Amino acid sequence: MKRYLGRKLAIYALTFFLAVTIDWMIPRFMPGNPVQTMLSRVSLRAEAVDALRGYYTRAFGLDVPVWQQYLNFWRAVFQGDLGVSIYLFPKRVSSILMEAVPYSIALLLPAILLSWLAGNKFGAFAARRKWLDNTLLPVGYLLTATPYMWLGVLLAWAFGIVLDVFPIAGAYSFQMSPHLSWAFIKDLLWHWFLPFASLFLVMFGGWAIGMRNMIIYELEADYSKYLESLGAPARLIRKYAFRNAMLPQITGLALQLGVIAVGAIVTEIVFSYPGIGHLLMQAIQNQDYFLIQGCFLFIIMGVLLANFAVDILYIIVDPRTRRGMVGES
Amino acid sequence: MAGPTKEKGPKNEFLYFAFRNWKLRLGLFVTVSFLVVALVGPFITKFDPWGYVGRPAEPPSATHWFGTTFFGQDVFSQFVHGLGPLFLVGALGGALATLIGTAIGFTAGYRGGAVDEVLNMLTNVVLVIPTLALLLLIAAYLKVRSFLMEAVFIGCTAWPWTARAVRAQTLSLRTREFVDLARISGMKPGKIVVTEIAPNMLSYLVMVFILQFGGAILNAATLDFIGLGPTTGISLGLMMNYAVMWGALPLKIWWWFIPPGLAIALIVGALYITNVGLDEVFNPKLREK
Amino acid sequence: MRKWLVVALTVGLAGLLALGQVYPRNETLYVSGAAWGPPTDWNPFITWSKANTSGTVGLIYETLYFYDPINDELIPWLAESGEWRTDTVFVVKLRDGLTWQDGKPLTAEDVVFTFELGREYAEIWFSPRWDYLESVTAVDPLTVEFSFKGTVLYQEFQSDLYNVAIVPEHIWAGRSREDITSGANGQPVGSGAYRYLTHAQDRNVYVRNEDWWGTKLLGLKPAPKYIVEILFSSNNVALGSLLKGELDLSNNFLPGIGSLTALGYVKTYLPQPPYMLSANTAVLFLNTTKKPLDDPAFRKALAHAINVDDIINYAFAGLVQRADPTGLLPTMSKYVDQNVVARLGFAYNPTQARQLLAAAGYKDVDGDGFVEAPDGSKIALEVTCPFGWTDWMEAIRVIAASARAAGINIQDRTPDYGVWNTALVTGTFDMTLNNWASLSNTPWTLYNLLFNHPIRETMGSGNFGRYDNPQLFALVDQLAGTPPWDEAGMKAICSQIQEIMLNELPMIPLWYNGLWAQYREDVWQNFPGATEGRPHWLPSTWAGYWQMGGLHMLCELKPVP
Repeated sequence: MKRYLGRKLAIYALTFFLAVTIDWMIPRFMPGNPVQTMLSRVSLRAEAVDALRGYYTRAFGLDVPVWQQYLNFWRAVFQGDLGVSIYLFPKRVSSILMEAVPYSIALLLPAILLSWLAGNKFGAFAARRKWLDNTLLPVGYLLTATPYMWLGVLLAWAFGIVLDVFPIAGAYSFQMSPHLSWAFIKDLLWHWFLPFASLFLVMFGGWAIGMRNMIIYELEADYSKYLESLGAPARLIRKYAFRNAMLPQITGLALQLGVIAVGAIVTEIVFSYPGIGHLLMQAIQNQDYFLIQGCFLFIIMGVLLANFAVDILYIIVDPRTRRGMVGES
Repeated sequence: MAGPTKEKGPKNEFLYFAFRNWKLRLGLFVTVSFLVVALVGPFITKFDPWGYVGRPAEPPSATHWFGTTFFGQDVFSQFVHGLGPLFLVGALGGALATLIGTAIGFTAGYRGGAVDEVLNMLTNVVLVIPTLALLLLIAAYLKVRSFLMEAVFIGCTAWPWTARAVRAQTLSLRTREFVDLARISGMKPGKIVVTEIAPNMLSYLVMVFILQFGGAILNAATLDFIGLGPTTGISLGLMMNYAVMWGALPLKIWWWFIPPGLAIALIVGALYITNVGLDEVFNPKLREK
Repeated sequence: MRKWLVVALTVGLAGLLALGQVYPRNETLYVSGAAWGPPTDWNPFITWSKANTSGTVGLIYETLYFYDPINDELIPWLAESGEWRTDTVFVVKLRDGLTWQDGKPLTAEDVVFTFELGREYAEIWFSPRWDYLESVTAVDPLTVEFSFKGTVLYQEFQSDLYNVAIVPEHIWAGRSREDITSGANGQPVGSGAYRYLTHAQDRNVYVRNEDWWGTKLLGLKPAPKYIVEILFSSNNVALGSLLKGELDLSNNFLPGIGSLTALGYVKTYLPQPPYMLSANTAVLFLNTTKKPLDDPAFRKALAHAINVDDIINYAFAGLVQRADPTGLLPTMSKYVDQNVVARLGFAYNPTQARQLLAAAGYKDVDGDGFVEAPDGSKIALEVTCPFGWTDWMEAIRVIAASARAAGINIQDRTPDYGVWNTALVTGTFDMTLNNWASLSNTPWTLYNLLFNHPIRETMGSGNFGRYDNPQLFALVDQLAGTPPWDEAGMKAICSQIQEIMLNELPMIPLWYNGLWAQYREDVWQNFPGATEGRPHWLPSTWAGYWQMGGLHMLCELKPVP
């Protein structure tokens, strides 16, 4: 187990190092110059431009040699200081991100967990039940094949426009400012539901299909046949099959995290939901390098943490890793 | 996705089961139908996809099968012109991802040792970095982006799960009796790979390619939708982008955004179902009872 | 430890509870369309972010004058009157009884302090005025005297009168350079009809200033108690919100407004096409440093090849109108020399475009359907606008398509905003759309955009195509220095500028972008309109428009009973 975890941590450390390095390169190697962008917003005389250029260069920390900028960036990352936004100048990137993170988490965490649990349960239930299987299969495949944004658009159109029962944009309505009251919480949930539902449905389809397929493999495995020949009840066999099928589903969760993150980004864009994805899109459109950098860093850390959580889960569920019988996933 | 296991069987048996399998038939039928539309569609529509050929926001009719856009452009014409690039990017991106994934996974699994360690590390790193976020950045660099570039982007980032799966598959094949037999009989490693291992993995790779194909289509649609797709030409993702930007939702021009999304879902869904069907054909145990 | 946590939580929750607010629908005006991004500052001296907190100038801080473009008239505001005593002395009399929102009186000293900030800090946008301003002095608490020296740019100073926001000296005096020139000014104290209440990523909220001096001195009282100014991430969402009646006034460009107006879903200033007043001119800037765009004959042919009607009818669905060839807005039409336009004007005419090309030696040599330059080299040009500017994206598609139909090979491209902007100011683009000269009181505003000079490495505020013509530049300077009371002199100079411009066509004015405004009268009624019985003010909440009719609009609104 120690070896397994140690190896995992080494991979995370390496990934983190590479990702942060790529992240650092973004504003420095993207076309266009952030200082120039700031300056082009104002029409000033030459001497004022020079004064401002110096000011912005210092504000963005670009006045030291490149290697030192790199080291400074690492220090800043550990201190949680991601510099100043261009598009939202003079706001700090970290404070902008902090405003957006809760919304992304509120959307993603329930969607991932609930869809995974529900999808697994449903997929296991449907497997080898002919009628259910034959309906689940096409529907499930259609769901998992649906582009996230299209399902979002579809739901927004059906429930937000045609039926007019849900709002199609924002995190809470414009009649309110955030405060603690039932009315506000209801309003929050009301706005949260459609983006959540579209993420949930697409993922649900994937997990249900995955589980259904795994169960069928397991039911056909030699141990199941053996149990069957011994006259074990079907329920027991299915229970074993379900347990064994969980392992690949956990690995699948880790494999899917990157895709899910992207799905969340486009879903937030469709519903104008003020999370990291929505922010990233705006940062890209406004060429706010430092904000892009911050969003990217957050997404990387989120995916890494989630991966780590999945690893821990794997260790808990799979006894072999605990005994050090397998070196890798 | 689930990894299949492989059984050897005579060709005609394969075909027999292939034709009997409804999943395979359905999946192939849907995919091929769309492919035909993509190939002949541009010749049967009489409208320029960007031309202002009708009244604005006309519902579907005999002249405009899928209605018109907010500007009076023919939605059907845009749709069929967008299908071609979809298949192109899907096939190229999928093939590239399969190729890279297979090469890396196979080398890692077959060579083992330090090579395996390094490649495995690489796979894990690429797996964890949110690739589409990276794509966003690369896409923003380029002034002009083409469908080909999009396919290459997708291929270069979508391979890790394939590499993992192929590596596991290779590991299990390497220890099978017939490979051992070949080794004992003094066959060269390269020849073992070509004559013994590769044929056994071929069916598996076909299925991997189908999954990658579908995945590439979805990735491309996402890129197009957020405006980081090709800068010229038309695609289904771009159609959805336009529909949403131009208020197709509040103006209730549903015929503008339903066809492109539905087509993507149907094609990718059909590919996945084809995959299940193939799996059942290759692996008799999985067939329905 | 745990106890402390409980206490902290309780206090925190109580704080949230106290801060929270629900704005009663019948007391609140919901508007959108001004902001480009989330609010970041309420500093009236940072101009580039003002769109995001457009109420900073006009609602919170006020200017000496307001300006009514419909009647081309300066309205004394903080000033009671102003007078040019001589060509170099301008005296402003302030109203008696002006107060800041904190209760302190607003006096001549505050005006002097504000203008002096421009002398001290080069970063402040009106700092260049001190090239010809000699002094600004407070003669008495209600009188400010501006003395000038050298070449006075009267036209520029005239528009400063309704654009320089006066700030309270007692609050700003102790601030650092950084605070003044780039600080957020989070708790703004102005003199205006509204106070800052709160903000979030996607909204600004203002609350009415019940002690506003205007109620006492002008008898004006804006109707809505709250103004919630919304940043919609897409026009699509704004349209949905408007149709649901959640939004009262949208200043976004919304597709399909023409048909929605006809059906009675929304109201607009004009009841018939183009439905909107004109706000600025969309100009196709041509990079005159690149071949073949350096050739006036080619530029002229291009101007005849662009199908502006298609842009108007399809890309904008009839919401805009064709621009005068001089580019001057309808409110400035008295400065258009109709003789010059009749002689040199252009209109869409592909046949003539082909003839002009052929006459200038541009012929299709290799038979690919597109003309080559007289020296035989291929022509391949790009027309750009930022990605996401939906109406313009469609417009450049029409520009490229109609030019190709006339034999000029042009492709449309939509780079991201930053890339586009860099290409614009550094002059690496081929041709691009721009409309950065807004509605104003002088034709000089447009010419200052079109013929900005001298040509520098980066051209941040105009003449992006780097058209270099000293004779023309001298005329523009001469116009800037013409006193506003010399209308005949202004017209004469404008005529000369137009003669050169239409002969050379360094850029092509195409259409007037609308002053997008659509309203639902579910909660508030009596929005502005051209028809009898409606108030004639600009119905806009954009930055700079509160003092050009926006605030007056608020005062004319009536709650629906």
